[in-house]
Amino acid sequence: MDPQLLIGIAQVLLVIILLLVGLNLSLVFRYKEIDPFAKWNPHIINANLFFMFLVVGLIAAYVSTDIWSEKFVFMNNPASAHGAEIDRMMFNSLVVAIIASVLTNILLFFYALKYRYREGRKAHYYPHNNKLEVLWTIVPAVVLTLLIFDGVGVWHDTMTELTEEELDEAIVYEVNGKQFGWTVRYPGEDHTLGEANVGYINESAGNDIGVNYADPEAQDDLIVNEIHLPVNRTAMMRIRSRDVLHSATIAHFRVKMDAVPGMPTSFHFTPTLTTAEMRERTGNPDFNYEMSCQQICGGGHWNMRRVIVVETQEEYEAWLDQQKPYYEIWKTLASEEEVKAAEAAAMAASEKEAENEEVAMATE
Amino acid sequence: MAESTTHALQQDHGHHHDDHGHHDHHGSFVSKYIFSTDHKVIAKQFLVTGIIMAIFGILMSTIFRLQLAFPETSFPFLESLLGKWAPGGKLDPNFYLSLVTMHGTFMVFFVLTAGLSGTFSNFLIPLQIGARDMASGFINMLSYWFFFTSSVIMIVSLFISTGPAGGGWTIYPPLSALPQAMPGSGLGMTLWLFAMALFIASSLMGGINYITTVMNLRTKGMSFDRLPLTIWAFFLTAIIGVLSFPVLFSAALLLIFDRLLGTSFYLSDIFIGGELLHYQGGSPILFQHLFWFLGHPEVYIVLLPALGISSEVISVHARKPIFGYKAMVGSMVGIAFLSFIVWAHHMFVTGMNPFLGTVFMLFTLVIAVPSAIKAFNYITTLWKGNIRFTTAMLFAIGLVSLFITGGITGILLGNAALDIPLHDTYFVTAHFHLVMGSASAFGFFAGVYQWFPKMFGRMMNPRLGYIHFWFTFVSLYCVFFPMHFMGLGGVARHYYQYTAFDFMGVFGDLSVFITFAAIIGAAAQVIFLYNFFYSIFRGKEATLNPWESNTLEWTTPLKPGHGNWPGDIPAVYRWPYDYSKPGIKKDYLPQHIPDEEVEYEEGFPRPAVVPQREQPAKVENEETKQAEE
Repeated sequence: MDPQLLIGIAQVLLVIILLLVGLNLSLVFRYKEIDPFAKWNPHIINANLFFMFLVVGLIAAYVSTDIWSEKFVFMNNPASAHGAEIDRMMFNSLVVAIIASVLTNILLFFYALKYRYREGRKAHYYPHNNKLEVLWTIVPAVVLTLLIFDGVGVWHDTMTELTEEELDEAIVYEVNGKQFGWTVRYPGEDHTLGEANVGYINESAGNDIGVNYADPEAQDDLIVNEIHLPVNRTAMMRIRSRDVLHSATIAHFRVKMDAVPGMPTSFHFTPTLTTAEMRERTGNPDFNYEMSCQQICGGGHWNMRRVIVVETQEEYEAWLDQQKPYYEIWKTLASEEEVKAAEAAAMAASEKEAENEEVAMATE
Repeated sequence: MAESTTHALQQDHGHHHDDHGHHDHHGSFVSKYIFSTDHKVIAKQFLVTGIIMAIFGILMSTIFRLQLAFPETSFPFLESLLGKWAPGGKLDPNFYLSLVTMHGTFMVFFVLTAGLSGTFSNFLIPLQIGARDMASGFINMLSYWFFFTSSVIMIVSLFISTGPAGGGWTIYPPLSALPQAMPGSGLGMTLWLFAMALFIASSLMGGINYITTVMNLRTKGMSFDRLPLTIWAFFLTAIIGVLSFPVLFSAALLLIFDRLLGTSFYLSDIFIGGELLHYQGGSPILFQHLFWFLGHPEVYIVLLPALGISSEVISVHARKPIFGYKAMVGSMVGIAFLSFIVWAHHMFVTGMNPFLGTVFMLFTLVIAVPSAIKAFNYITTLWKGNIRFTTAMLFAIGLVSLFITGGITGILLGNAALDIPLHDTYFVTAHFHLVMGSASAFGFFAGVYQWFPKMFGRMMNPRLGYIHFWFTFVSLYCVFFPMHFMGLGGVARHYYQYTAFDFMGVFGDLSVFITFAAIIGAAAQVIFLYNFFYSIFRGKEATLNPWESNTLEWTTPLKPGHGNWPGDIPAVYRWPYDYSKPGIKKDYLPQHIPDEEVEYEEGFPRPAVVPQREQPAKVENEETKQAEE
């Protein structure tokens, strides 16, 4: 058995034993009509305990933050352009939150200590003070207004859709959520993802996201195991789901967007640190960017991992060159009719394209 | 003496009913304790049912905490307890999700909604406004029995072969709509929806009753600006509930249609379990809008009663008027109103229009202002008080601390941009367990310790109360505060284990610590259970007004019968918070004492002109008249 577990069990047993001893003692005292705590003043004890709780709690909060903060993903090496903005704002908001909650908690427990019950003393009758009320309406309102302005700005910058030109420049890829995993598709040479719909799914033919291979634009699409992205170039992640809700989350990029069946979504971001740089910064040679699912989706929800590799433009291109269109594999798995239909469609499309070109040339 | 007059009143009623045959149902056990229309008995029924549901909810959380702390360890006792759901002593991933789901459902709806509002709205509204019972005792009784049936169905769903619902307490479709998606979406989900439909019916019947009672049955002189803050809180809670629960009902109904009739309200383009489904054109996001239109007000349905209770408890035990009564009422009204226009902050990353995100971020952060006002007013109420540390007061002070610490992180989560990384991480878990779960549970405990003498005529043991409080308070902080760290570490909620991801796995030690704190906290509730049930039968006999409180419920006999006051209902001459008023002999001045009977300190000049507002003199109450006829 795990030694930690044994220690745990021992601790729990100890607590139970202590409780039983306490109960036993209380019964004895009751029987003999002795009250050993008669002189204990609950007001003094509880007031002091509250204050002790405050002091010990603040120290514990400080020390534990110190220990654990290096393991934070957030506010620690943001690896995307908008992530840096989010981290800055998160830090500021946390500072506001910590100051406000520490001050108010100190006042709360300090007053509890100072104004504990004393016999013969009368409390100060102080039912209202409109100036004070106005003060603590306005101060939070002003602070929150500042936070809202900042938040709206960052939110807007992060979520605004890419323009046509930006989209042309961006690395487009698609993640498809399913129970339980992500299937990743790149558009191939034509820079366009081919048509896909759940209606085309044929798992025995290895088509588990419903790519329509009769669409010529789909025939050069890549299905890959690892997501590769060049550093400092905008990435456009298109997100789909074929069954239930999932959420495409890349914590280190501060990226999250739900995958909704029947409603494609997207998220664009710009990685700013390569995997190698991040390994250096974190001092962890095994570091990887990991994509997870963060919308409850069933028994395997906890295990929808995909590795993302951020690298230089050259490395990225080298990787891309090695990938083969999935169409070639699909042809070996799909039925003859399907393959024929797809080939015919491709033929027709290329003929049409040639015709179009001819027409275009003729008009010139 | 008090008891004999109550008895006389009951006998009166008995004679009145003689015409209907010879079943004197005021005496019978069934009519008195089971199908009772007495608001006090119904309140106790809600209380005990709520406690039973809480035991289930807490036990479930300790089981899944074990899994989270020791993902690789096998616990043979789990297999003997759960059978096929823990093969080899290791929890099944689907059952883990079911436990999380049912923990949430039990705690949010059955404990903190029905257990809290059901108990204290029922118990306190008639007693504190000076009414003999609810506007409709019968509907009140129905409300409890719908709730009871709903609870039974929920508990039964724990024991069926496919397991209870497992899609999270928010039951997002398509996961909850498709039995192929997980075992818990089979019969378990059907029972869940059925139970919730009954629950909503119960909640609406209760709510309508509370609203009607507060509006129509206040005693002479009890104007709205003299209502105790508890009543204001229950009243506003009921209004929120009546306006928002029907929306959840419609959401559930459409989900039932999708599940049973094959409609496509929430479903479109789905391939699951190796087959393509026929659903076309629905939107899962629609469900989330409908769900959170209730779901967010629900947070305040849970929280406001607790805040009302703590306002009352803090004022009584600090021996000071609550600071800023009007601001307290105003901020509760503000919260109630705003709670309806913030729902989509649960949906920032669902792919909805970013512009909507901006609007909802604005309203969400605005709701922090009334919350801040309340926190400052609590603290100012303590300032220069004479604080009596009763158990109820400990829980009320603890509530304020939890409310601040948990609530403040709302300014991060309400910010749409920050919600991108933080959504569905442990940061959210920490936030809402502190501010909604723990703070409301503390309101519940404060209420139980405060009004136990009125409920059962006996006192709870204060020392056991202190021990219970300190174990609970410290362990709650130990459980939920470290979860902020995990959230900032990007650790996702609803994960069966964190071992699949490098950046999540590093929080293993913290997870173990949290689990031990949770087990200790859960064990401490045994102290409460013992104290509660022991004191009902063997506790020290209470006095008529043990906390020297101003409100009307303490003017009733020790064990008030049906009808509450054996004689006339007392009239009200002032607001309920005249504690330590200068010149008054005692440090409290109950609402029902007429101005001319107020005892002043020696040498303090009696006011020359007694304010003439609403002098009710001694008017016979209509109900008593009827009874006498």
